[in-house]
Amino acid sequence: MIRKTLLAVVSLSLLTLSALAGGSATTAHADTYFPITGTGSTWSQNALDQWRANVAKNYGMQVNYSGTGSSQGRRDFIAGTVDFAISEIPFQAKPEDGSPPESPSVDYAYLPIVAGGTSFMYNLKINGKRVTNLRLSGANIAKIFTGAITNWNDPALQKDNPGLAMPNKTIVPVIRSDGSGTSAQFTLWMSKQFPSIWKTGMTSMFPSFGNAKAQKGSDGVAGYVSQNYGEGAITYVEYSYAKKSGYPVAKVLNAAGYYVEPTAYSVAVALTQARINTDKGSAAYLTQILDGVYNASDSRAYPVSSYSYLIVPTEVKSGSIFNTNKGATLAAFTRYMLCEGQQQAATLGYSPLPMNLVQAGSDQITRIPGSGGTGIDTSKCNNPTFKAGDSPTKNQLAKIAPYPAACDKEGANQCTTGTGGAGQDTPTTGSGTGGSANNTPGTTPSTSTGSGSGTGTGSGTTPTSGGAPVVDENGNVLSTTTSGTGQAVATPFTLPAQGVGVSQWLMLAAALGLIAAVVLPPLLLQRLRAGGEGGNA
Amino acid sequence: MTAMLSTSLPRADGDAATPRRFLSRASIPDIVFSRLATSAGVITVSIMLAVGLFLSLRASTALQTVGWSFLTEQQWSPETHTFGVAAVLFGTVTIAVIALVVSVPLSIGTALLLSEVATGRLRGLLVTLVDLMAAVPSIVFGLWGVYFLQGNIIPVAKWISIWFGWVPFFAVTDAQGQPFTEASAFTSSAFIAGIVVGMMVVPTQTSIMREAFARAPIGEREGAYALGSTRWGMIRAVVLPFGKGGIIGGIMLGLGRALGETIAVYMIISPIFVINWQVLKTGTNSVSALIALRYGEASEFGLSALMAAGLVLFLLTLVINFTASSIVARSRSGAESDD
Amino acid sequence: MTDVTELLPIDPDTFRPATRMPDPGDTPRGARRNVRGMTARQHFDLIGAAVAGASLATLLFGWFAPLSGAIGWVVVAFVSFLGLYVLLVSLDADLQEVIDRLTAVLFASAGVVLFGALAFIVVYTLTRGLDALTHTNFFTQTMQFAGPLDPLTTGGIIHAIVGTLIQIAIALAIAVPLGIGTAVFLNEVGGRFARFVRTVSDAMTALPSIVAGLFVYAAVIQGVTHERSGLAAGIAITVMMLPIIIRSADVVLRLVPGNLREASYGLGASRWRTVWHVVLPTARSGLVTSVILGTARGIGETSPVLLTSGVTAAMNTNPLSGPMISLPLQVFDFVRSPEPSMVARGFGAAAVLLVLVLGLFMLARTLGGRAPGDLSARQRRAVQAASRRDVQRFAARHAPAAVAQPTLPDAPARATQGDPS
Repeated sequence: MIRKTLLAVVSLSLLTLSALAGGSATTAHADTYFPITGTGSTWSQNALDQWRANVAKNYGMQVNYSGTGSSQGRRDFIAGTVDFAISEIPFQAKPEDGSPPESPSVDYAYLPIVAGGTSFMYNLKINGKRVTNLRLSGANIAKIFTGAITNWNDPALQKDNPGLAMPNKTIVPVIRSDGSGTSAQFTLWMSKQFPSIWKTGMTSMFPSFGNAKAQKGSDGVAGYVSQNYGEGAITYVEYSYAKKSGYPVAKVLNAAGYYVEPTAYSVAVALTQARINTDKGSAAYLTQILDGVYNASDSRAYPVSSYSYLIVPTEVKSGSIFNTNKGATLAAFTRYMLCEGQQQAATLGYSPLPMNLVQAGSDQITRIPGSGGTGIDTSKCNNPTFKAGDSPTKNQLAKIAPYPAACDKEGANQCTTGTGGAGQDTPTTGSGTGGSANNTPGTTPSTSTGSGSGTGTGSGTTPTSGGAPVVDENGNVLSTTTSGTGQAVATPFTLPAQGVGVSQWLMLAAALGLIAAVVLPPLLLQRLRAGGEGGNA
Repeated sequence: MTAMLSTSLPRADGDAATPRRFLSRASIPDIVFSRLATSAGVITVSIMLAVGLFLSLRASTALQTVGWSFLTEQQWSPETHTFGVAAVLFGTVTIAVIALVVSVPLSIGTALLLSEVATGRLRGLLVTLVDLMAAVPSIVFGLWGVYFLQGNIIPVAKWISIWFGWVPFFAVTDAQGQPFTEASAFTSSAFIAGIVVGMMVVPTQTSIMREAFARAPIGEREGAYALGSTRWGMIRAVVLPFGKGGIIGGIMLGLGRALGETIAVYMIISPIFVINWQVLKTGTNSVSALIALRYGEASEFGLSALMAAGLVLFLLTLVINFTASSIVARSRSGAESDD
Repeated sequence: MTDVTELLPIDPDTFRPATRMPDPGDTPRGARRNVRGMTARQHFDLIGAAVAGASLATLLFGWFAPLSGAIGWVVVAFVSFLGLYVLLVSLDADLQEVIDRLTAVLFASAGVVLFGALAFIVVYTLTRGLDALTHTNFFTQTMQFAGPLDPLTTGGIIHAIVGTLIQIAIALAIAVPLGIGTAVFLNEVGGRFARFVRTVSDAMTALPSIVAGLFVYAAVIQGVTHERSGLAAGIAITVMMLPIIIRSADVVLRLVPGNLREASYGLGASRWRTVWHVVLPTARSGLVTSVILGTARGIGETSPVLLTSGVTAAMNTNPLSGPMISLPLQVFDFVRSPEPSMVARGFGAAAVLLVLVLGLFMLARTLGGRAPGDLSARQRRAVQAASRRDVQRFAARHAPAAVAQPTLPDAPARATQGDPS
């Protein structure tokens, strides 16, 4: 019987195996594409997942991608367990922490695949109503992520947000627990811009501090922020995650004095200032030099913008899992990504690549074994940033990018329109005036039927520049508009249970009295009865 | 060539009674069978020794580099050669201890309920249910912990920290030592991970304890009742003393399982690399979560360090399991002699 | 063993052994003491205390004290229930009985908490998974064509289900022959080496599953295959499952009564035949149970596959190359995403995994759960019928020799082949 059961189990599984293998083999033969596998960045994972699904649907190409973090992607590439990797930063020849250099045994090339903004997604409520228009200056961001600013009502933050009555709530910075390219990009930006606040330099492993929570992966940090208990949390994550999970991102102050959201436009504008390492001899060919981006003087530029790289092998080593068949598929997939795929970048929360990078990427594609030397014909490339015949330095997107509204300028006005995945407006609660980013006439939230429910979260600090304060009765004005996700609810301020006062004693006495009223009669009765029986006996 | 027969043959006195030999010469199928069985054993042992030796060899690189400070260092940064399991191991043990605090009363209570109180069909059903629950995958517990428990347990954690904050374990303070009552301070804590792991090990513990309790000899039970004992009196005088080994064994096996649990802990905690005595406060770590978190991005040396951590966890579990099984075995043989 | 009943002048179908009580004569017999049941009075105590406890908690919460929150209510209600119950019982019982009743209630509460919590975990997973489970495409499609923004009407987990089945099939193909072979070696061959094997395999049950995964990652993936694959995941599950199967199979084989083996040897059977025809069939249900329980454990464990199988959205039926995802890992991968539809998929996949594991467990219960030689009523009847036929056959064969009854124990000398089927 054991034998029979075993035989049945084994034969059944073999049967399924062979049936399924047969099925998949036929589909594989129909398209001449071979499955390729990659790991790496979670920063660009949303784009990769979308592209992976698209090429599967349209070309029958099977691309396996697992967002494990850039560090693991690079490590897997070095170990030769994947066909390609995706990372925000190149292989580290001199890692900051003094570890040995990362050097793959195969020759490799970098290809930029998608641009995007590292955004600051947050979960903050004022009087039960979600804030969607937070603004932050770079220095304040650096201070939040070093533990120098720990409360949302810090004067420095209030100064950024004159239109909001910043609540007395602890800031919970959510950081990445795994080795991450997002951390590397973010710390690189801080180390270049605010060396006096951020002293650690660029690192993939964000050091834990004070009240910080560490979560794995972009989805992990975004997931934490979007929980109910994540109120007060802020994290750094690619813009698409905030879009996807329906949460707002902070507008970041740029060098021109405007607070800007990391949309496809603002990232494209900023990245026109990126210098690309064009020294073909260097191993870091095509990697980015972002100092210009951080200080872009265009008022539309989002300062924390960057590219993500695809790392591809440029040789076939014997004994490795990579071969020219896979190379052909990888080249086809890359060609798709750089042209057709970029169409969806903006929808997903990324920014499409400009022409010069597509051209440079095209050269790299020809180096992939099995690509057949085919690069990209820019005249046929369906990329939204350029039309056929454009010059490589032109970026259509940057040309048509809208200029920020006046209320986004540093000062007393603060736009009320939502950001990221949270489109609803935020009513003005602070001292500054509101404003709508799309410049519709008449500022929206002046219906100030405020019921200042006594939270005393303070009126905003005095406006720095002119601009007549419109709403400032209690510093705590609630709008009655229900345009957002929920009705504005005033939550009564509860005192923490500290100390026992007279009323507490009274309540305790009342409770004890109740218990006594329930318990004593039967006890007394029993006592009496027992006494009576004893007397009788 | 001794077959393991449980009956011992009575030996007649005198020289006439030499026991009969089973086989003078092994037949070919027997030789084949014996070879096959032995080779199965050899393969098994070699697989397992390979695992053990491989781990030890790879781990030794890291261990030689840092020596004993591996057990005292809290940071985990193999690249800079400052790494150790102090914080990670502390987190593992905290989570396991909290798991035991949750699981032991529940499992002892339920085991006694099953063996002494419940009757008839209900009892059979519940016994099956307990065994069934032992098979629920840990990822399911993890989902429950993250999506349900974490949100709902925060008020309880807060309440404990407010009223029992004077106990050092239950205090939740910020960097300045001030009490801290924000909801976000209580998420991803050892407390929550411990409760989830506790629920995970209860079924295992319960079924071991129930078996031990059920072995309490019927004679003593009836004797206790005959002397007029109440049920609790009988339990205290007969079942608990006889089941003591089972209780300890069950607890320790549960502990072994709790120490090695990966995925549920990994999903819940926010990993830190300092010792955090405040179990209600965010941030803890465990060896297995560390391995799951860092294996992918680890360099050759980093993997070696992770293996050293894994080895430490393995040895700890090993000691606990062997103690448990020897205790269970001893109590079992004792109980049987009275049966 | 059942042959004996054949020789007795009793019908085995109706015969039930029973203890014969001596006739008590005129001695007065008291009422039988009920140590498990409850009287109506005790029921009333229980119900009354429960209602009173709940009411008291509601009163305290609503009107008298500044308390709030569902968990607080439950705690207060429970404490007041206990207090009131003690009070009620103590009205007409002594201290001993009060303690007895109280402990019984405490045990029952532990049971209620445990079963309640576990049932809740299962129901919670199934309910939250319902969103995804109601779409048939969830069971028929892969995630290959589903992008991150696609709704639940696209994409499914068939690739993960198939991956799970392939990986567990690989693990079973290695672990079952090896595990049962080793258990047989431990019990039937023995010797000093066997004791060593037993110690080593017992030690390996302590190996945390993540460490098994780490071993396969470092030794097999980095050293041999150079990519994550279904085979690597299967090996990792094997390393994790093997000690579990060996240990439980060893226990089952050890329970095979020695007299069965002796009888077989006594009939002149060789060791090989004894194992194949006596020991293994006797332990069959136990062995099946141990294998199935090991399988349930292997299917449900996430940590070994987390490191070894790789993540893919497409169907991969080739365990030798390319990543092959399995159900637990797919759950883990889904719920990492903050997006509601992905989380719903995660719960759906978890529900499928749960049903799979619980189904396997129920299968194990139906097939096994008995000690060796302990037969179900139906099996017992079948065995008895077979024995009866044998007796008749023997009788028919020996009829010319004018012996009505089959001869007894010295028969083995003549029976050259013991064939107990």
